[in-house]
Amino acid sequence: MDLTASPPVKRARRRSLTHFEDEDITGIRAVLSDEFDRDIELVKAHSCQLETKQQLQAVIQELSQKLPHFQHLKRVHDRSVLICPSSDVESSETLEQYLQRFAFSEHVLRALCQGVRVVDVPGRMPRLRAQYEKTLRHWPCKFHPNHYSESLRNGSNFSSEQRRIHKRMAQLLVRLSRDVNSDRPVGICVDPRRPSVVAIAGGGEFRSPHEHCSMLLVDHVARTQQGGAIETDLTFAEDPKAGDTTLRGIPTVYYDYLSKDEEYKDLQFGAETRRSDEAQHQQQAQGADNLVKFGPYLCTGYDVYLLQEPCLMCSMALVHSRAKRVFFLRSSENGALATRFQLHTVRELNHHYEVFQFTTKDAELT
Amino acid sequence: MADFMEEAFVEARRARDAGEVPVGCVFVHGDKVIARGGNEVNVYRNATRHAEFICIDATLAYCREKRLPARQMFSEITVVVTVEPCIMCSAALHTLGVKEIIFGCENDRFGGKTVVDVAEVVGQRIDITGGVRAEEAMALLKEFYKGDNPAAPPQAKKKK
Repeated sequence: MDLTASPPVKRARRRSLTHFEDEDITGIRAVLSDEFDRDIELVKAHSCQLETKQQLQAVIQELSQKLPHFQHLKRVHDRSVLICPSSDVESSETLEQYLQRFAFSEHVLRALCQGVRVVDVPGRMPRLRAQYEKTLRHWPCKFHPNHYSESLRNGSNFSSEQRRIHKRMAQLLVRLSRDVNSDRPVGICVDPRRPSVVAIAGGGEFRSPHEHCSMLLVDHVARTQQGGAIETDLTFAEDPKAGDTTLRGIPTVYYDYLSKDEEYKDLQFGAETRRSDEAQHQQQAQGADNLVKFGPYLCTGYDVYLLQEPCLMCSMALVHSRAKRVFFLRSSENGALATRFQLHTVRELNHHYEVFQFTTKDAELT
Repeated sequence: MADFMEEAFVEARRARDAGEVPVGCVFVHGDKVIARGGNEVNVYRNATRHAEFICIDATLAYCREKRLPARQMFSEITVVVTVEPCIMCSAALHTLGVKEIIFGCENDRFGGKTVVDVAEVVGQRIDITGGVRAEEAMALLKEFYKGDNPAAPPQAKKKK
């Protein structure tokens, strides 16, 4: 099957009827922290010009002990040597007065005060090659290229088949919201190993003000693990008689809608059920992720697809639930993964998921 | 307020005895506790069932029963909790617009004040006071994490 070819004409025609809702999803973009996406800011630094290369060793040795700045930069460039951030030198003092505090040996001090200039240098280490290349015209800086980060930025982290699956889920969100949930938000949790739909939840006219789509979704996932706390009037799909998967995370309204739809007849449903304690210990495959090794625990190893960017409460609920990746289609005014905040880039948290936003034709036009 | 913190501790110990992370919370309206609860994460296999959420749900049920407007009720509530609310709970409490939050020990892994400025992200500021019987609250947590979280997979247990 050629996955890159455009969809068959029949589907395209059918879609034109529902053109507005389908939003023509064009791609998937990783939401990375500012460290990756911002240009590297420049800072002012004092530099000096050595007269001979023979001075270099002594100067660098003393500098690295007494002024250990600029770990992310090459300290020497064309016999120019970085001394310190210009902001460290008080405006009321000369560079020489400043340096005298550090007890440099006399010949080094003399060298440091030769041909002093203020130069612009990169303020931190670049994370992506594009950032690195922009810094080169200022001052050479260290850079550790990371293949995975680069692939997240240029989109090569997904194969065309994976891309097709993700986009299909985005289209599914649009359809379910429109046809089943009165245009309100919808979320889908997927076990990416098969892939298979684990749970579906729609945000509602709230019984409680905080029962947003993601909060309901993690509770529906809990139902597949013999848990679930939120009271609901919904009924859930019945488990098949054979097999070791459960459909209890999928409300009947969504399950029935999808079972009837020709376009989704190859979609797989069901969550792995909880393993017994002995089974947990048996499957300790080397290098496998925790979902493979131990079986379902909260949303470990699961992908979450959301129509709307989640708010801060929901974003943190997905951290607590240990989701693997979060994909969303539409930005939210109070969104906490891209719009108002990027929760997934906060280092202190004990779990981090990756975040992707679907791009649409509409968004590209505006 | 000291009496109310003791009530929160009662809930925290109850959570501990049920095999849950020992955090307890009470919602105070006037001079009366109208909602109380401890963590219920493991029993429901839902990582969002923190003590504060148990109390939010209990408050909503209380309002339904007494036919009181929930929004106004929340604006008059003092939240007393043994550990700093996490980012999720803090975001919910800010959005609901509770009157104030009083907590015991800080939560340096995912505290809604210590790690992220929730008020800034949500766009609503409320009074928050920390450090009430902090050492006791921390001691409860430490005692718990010395043992195993019975619901976590074996590998996660080892890390703790």
